[in-house]
Amino acid sequence: MSSEDFRSLLPLLILAAASILLLVVIAVRRDHRLVYYLTVAALAAALAASLIPVEYSPRTASPLLVIDGFSLFYSALLNAAGLIVVVLSYTYLRPLREQMEEYYVLILLAVLGSVILAASRHFASFFLGLELLSVSLYTLVGYMVRSRDRSMEAGLKYLILAAAAAAFLLFGMALVFYEAGQLGFSGIGKYLAEAEALSLLIITGFGLIIIGIGFKLALAPFHMWAADVYEGAPAPVSALVATVSKGGVVAVLLRFYSEVDGYQFPVLALLFSIFAAASMLGGNLLALLQDNVKRILGYSSIAHLGYLIVAFLSGGAMAAGAATFYLVAYFITILVAFGVVAHLSSGEQEAEKLEDYRSLFWRRPGTAVVFTAALLSLAGIPLTAGFIGKFYIAAAGAQEGLWVLLFILAASSVIGLYYYLRIIMAMFASAKDPAQRIAPLFSGVGLLLVILTVALVWLGVFPQAMLDMINEWVAG
Amino acid sequence: MTPDYMEQGMLLAIVLFCLGFVGLMIRRNVIFMLLSIEIMLNAAGLAFIVSGARWANADGQVMFIFILAMTAAEVSVGLALALKIFQKYKTLDSDAINRMKG
Amino acid sequence: MEEDMIQNEIYWPLVAYAGIVLLVIGAIVVLSYLLGERHDDKATGEVFESGILPTGSARLQFSSHFYLIAMFFVIFDLETAFIVAWAIGYEEAGWPGFIGALIFVGILLVVLVYEWSTGALDYGPQGQKIIKALQKRRKQQKI
Repeated sequence: MSSEDFRSLLPLLILAAASILLLVVIAVRRDHRLVYYLTVAALAAALAASLIPVEYSPRTASPLLVIDGFSLFYSALLNAAGLIVVVLSYTYLRPLREQMEEYYVLILLAVLGSVILAASRHFASFFLGLELLSVSLYTLVGYMVRSRDRSMEAGLKYLILAAAAAAFLLFGMALVFYEAGQLGFSGIGKYLAEAEALSLLIITGFGLIIIGIGFKLALAPFHMWAADVYEGAPAPVSALVATVSKGGVVAVLLRFYSEVDGYQFPVLALLFSIFAAASMLGGNLLALLQDNVKRILGYSSIAHLGYLIVAFLSGGAMAAGAATFYLVAYFITILVAFGVVAHLSSGEQEAEKLEDYRSLFWRRPGTAVVFTAALLSLAGIPLTAGFIGKFYIAAAGAQEGLWVLLFILAASSVIGLYYYLRIIMAMFASAKDPAQRIAPLFSGVGLLLVILTVALVWLGVFPQAMLDMINEWVAG
Repeated sequence: MTPDYMEQGMLLAIVLFCLGFVGLMIRRNVIFMLLSIEIMLNAAGLAFIVSGARWANADGQVMFIFILAMTAAEVSVGLALALKIFQKYKTLDSDAINRMKG
Repeated sequence: MEEDMIQNEIYWPLVAYAGIVLLVIGAIVVLSYLLGERHDDKATGEVFESGILPTGSARLQFSSHFYLIAMFFVIFDLETAFIVAWAIGYEEAGWPGFIGALIFVGILLVVLVYEWSTGALDYGPQGQKIIKALQKRRKQQKI
């Protein structure tokens, strides 16, 4: 390994070393604040290491990993999301009587797993990254065993379904390996390009891999875990599930598909179209029935991943760019939304019922405005990042003529508007006993939420800078 | 070895995988669900070994060791959660534990 | 056809072995049935000499520490698979392999230290606590 290899792998090395270091620190002395600062430092360092332009030419650091603009961009995005989740977690966890030091180690490992996913070009690293991510996540989901029963239940559900999904994925990989004799993405691509007729086994293999990925992304026929996990997990962990785990899997899906040129198989395209349509409709319709804000956000995340798959399916020149931009917009928005939920949750009581948000505007105007901005962005109202994201998806889809999917996208967005507006209406409903409690927004978390909201609106008004960056790093 | 044996090995793996999946679907006890998942994962491991032997490629065995490690981690977390759930609800029936719906 | 012949030749020891196994087991069962004594006294059905009389069902509740140790066993046992894989290819792996194995063992060591310090490895009654409790009781008795 040359020193350039080391430098290009720096984000991964920092995260791995930091999680080991944290274990030593915990072994010596349990100190929540110290562990928190170390985690923040590690994530910030990894973020900086992914942003420093190491070498733009794609660098194959090993047969397993490739560090190029694409993986560096996703690495930066995932590290930033992890950093925000950690900051949200600190104030959320402080009043609880749990041992929370290991929580940060698990977050670091989850981020490491999805950064590996973003950089992987081989089934082995794909599998390792995914499992590192999932094992950390189901431990995190079930972390609050002492204070919350639902956390335990959600953890077990997530574990069983994620492990079953991993089994599907692995069996699919094994079938592909049996036929192609290759585990590297490019090797498989070469095999597919040369093969005259594809056997049933390899098509089944691809199908199983897609089912495994569909589970991880909570696409519609495999979405049943999503709402329960979002509800049961502590709010910052829900944010982590919504961002970091989805981001890594989307990255590896984009890379895998483009390297093996999956667009040549109409069967797989049909499969993905069904997933996308079912996710958009199912997610939005099921969200209508909910009274729990965390469940609503869970179902809305199903719908949003459906929109993302439309961008991915368009497969043209714009596909990766549109999907990545949408992911960035979605990350910021959902982080704000779960950030507000975490911010309003006090100790062992989570603010999750719609009732908890009634006339929030008159109690905490700042928080209510921030949450409104996030919900409007989720709904895709103009002047927010969500609108621009959806616009690019529509443009990418129209270029490839995916009219049916685009129609479903538009129709389900209108349905979605209803339940987002319901929360907003509840927040602005007039208070029965005005000015109960006016808490200042300007805590650390409040400041973070305001910054994220500004970013949300800024992306919605001036998206060009981000688009240029994505075009240079991801598509280029 | 001739390819015939490979197909038999693959067939065994597929049968095992299906057995595990059916077990996961029909069993209601959490421990047995974990067991079924274990069978599915081991079927995938067997498929990797067979494929590795077919191409005389050690990658299949490497993947198998990774699968073993992942399975151990997953089962450890799973059993720990099952233990906590049993302490709380005094049952391991997944229908009885399922409180969140909708 | 020739291939079949070869395969038959390879298989005959296996078939012969299986046959011998069945024969021996059958002989043991049949002979002991024919030659064995038959009687039905008070203690015939009980465990004889080498065993202890069973007391109650085997479905006891164990302390959760046993499960913890079982999990540690599963995890640490697997690490040998990795180390053995490296040991087999020791010559081929060379220095990079050695450094890799060193890092791997180092991580294991850190995890062990972590487990030790969090008290996950302490099981059974804790000596120091018992002694402290005894001392406290003595003091109270003196007063």
